[in-house]
Amino acid sequence: MTLIRVEHVDKSFASRHGTMSIMQDISFEVKDSDFLAIVGPSGCGKSTLLRLIQGLDQPTAGHIFFRDQPVVGVCSQMAMVFQSFALYPWLTVSQNVAFGLEALHWPRERIAPQVERYVSVTGLDGFQEAYPRELSGGMRQRVGLARALAVEPAVLLMDEPFSALDPLTAASLREEVLQLWRDPQLPPEAVLLVSHNIEEAIELADRVIVFSRRPGHILAEVTVDLPRPRDRKSSAFYDLTDRVYSLITEGGQSGIASAGAETATPHAG
Amino acid sequence: MMGLLVLLNSHKGSEDVALLADDLDLEIDEILPSLEYAQVLQLVRVTDGRVSFTDLGKRLVQGSIRDRKAIIRDQLRRTALFKTILRALESASEHCLSGEELNQIIAFTTAPSDEAVQNIVNWGRYADLFRYDADERRLVAVRRPPTARTGPNRPPPPGGSTGPVERSTGEGKAPRPSAGSDPSPRLAGAASATA
Repeated sequence: MTLIRVEHVDKSFASRHGTMSIMQDISFEVKDSDFLAIVGPSGCGKSTLLRLIQGLDQPTAGHIFFRDQPVVGVCSQMAMVFQSFALYPWLTVSQNVAFGLEALHWPRERIAPQVERYVSVTGLDGFQEAYPRELSGGMRQRVGLARALAVEPAVLLMDEPFSALDPLTAASLREEVLQLWRDPQLPPEAVLLVSHNIEEAIELADRVIVFSRRPGHILAEVTVDLPRPRDRKSSAFYDLTDRVYSLITEGGQSGIASAGAETATPHAG
Repeated sequence: MMGLLVLLNSHKGSEDVALLADDLDLEIDEILPSLEYAQVLQLVRVTDGRVSFTDLGKRLVQGSIRDRKAIIRDQLRRTALFKTILRALESASEHCLSGEELNQIIAFTTAPSDEAVQNIVNWGRYADLFRYDADERRLVAVRRPPTARTGPNRPPPPGGSTGPVERSTGEGKAPRPSAGSDPSPRLAGAASATA
């Protein structure tokens, strides 16, 4: 079943120098039980696209549907995990996790058990009363994850969620996200990951959508058909990584050329 | 540490330490603290520069997040430091230890820097062995069913004795904390160890 459908989406911003196109003609689908990654150089509009999909911002042209309904306003069936964790420093772990539920006006008596459940599945029990400043980066991001999952989203949107973590912590958290995604008892049904890290995308996702430089457009969709856990040093893994790198470097150059021709781009990229 | 185990799992459970580090473009010394935690908790063994899962380690990495936590909890309980802390908590009034008392216990095994304390607190929280109240700066016991108690010996109240708590409550199985057998000196070394 199709969860998200993105159809011919353009996004541009007005600037002093004219209109700056962020992305052009983006179309793809996120299906039930997908793990989809979007990779591309920084500034290619990946994060903006996530914001559009969740309904935090509107596309300039084109349409975004969630379960065949146009996304109007913030969609509560999707939840986001941020690179910067975006936790409230004055709230405890439990209070941070409860925050999303309170914002959705969950009845008070249902919030506590829900928080308890998602604190537990993300491995945070024991830390309920801790403040974010007491936590390591990995534990902070688990709070971000617990907060997102607590609203039981159909789709988990992840914006560079592992970029601010040390490599070993990132490795363990990636594996935990895979566990959660594969567990049929737990949300989410699908994950849409945005990353500039090609190896990370190939390690995690079943499909990788490759974006060009700004204005971002889709260069290719690469299917990753490797068994998990994926060995980053295997030749099959290397071949896929190499292919995506080539796409980005080659596609990026034509991307800049067309940007110069079609729009007044204030930044060189 | 969990990252290291996950990484090892993607190498089919056994790999040269150097190659494992290389996989994430890390230097060997960057994975050594995690490796040592894993050894102390008996999740891996290292022979001739090659690291392999123990049966327990294999079970941990194949388990759910909750299973993992349970295994870590059992293993931490066996370490001298956590044994001491838990016994002290058990006997303390209201089952609480002040930051001061915690420092005293930690001082037997390592310098009680803020980082070391936070690290031990994090391990204990992760394994759900105790809670920590940051506002009051005190450790609070987690209530458990009687089967989970550490042993029959009742330790003296912490701070009430001038001798090392460790020595006076040892059951013979608990070794004196030493650099080779106890995780605490290295607990001070890597702040993100639990992650």
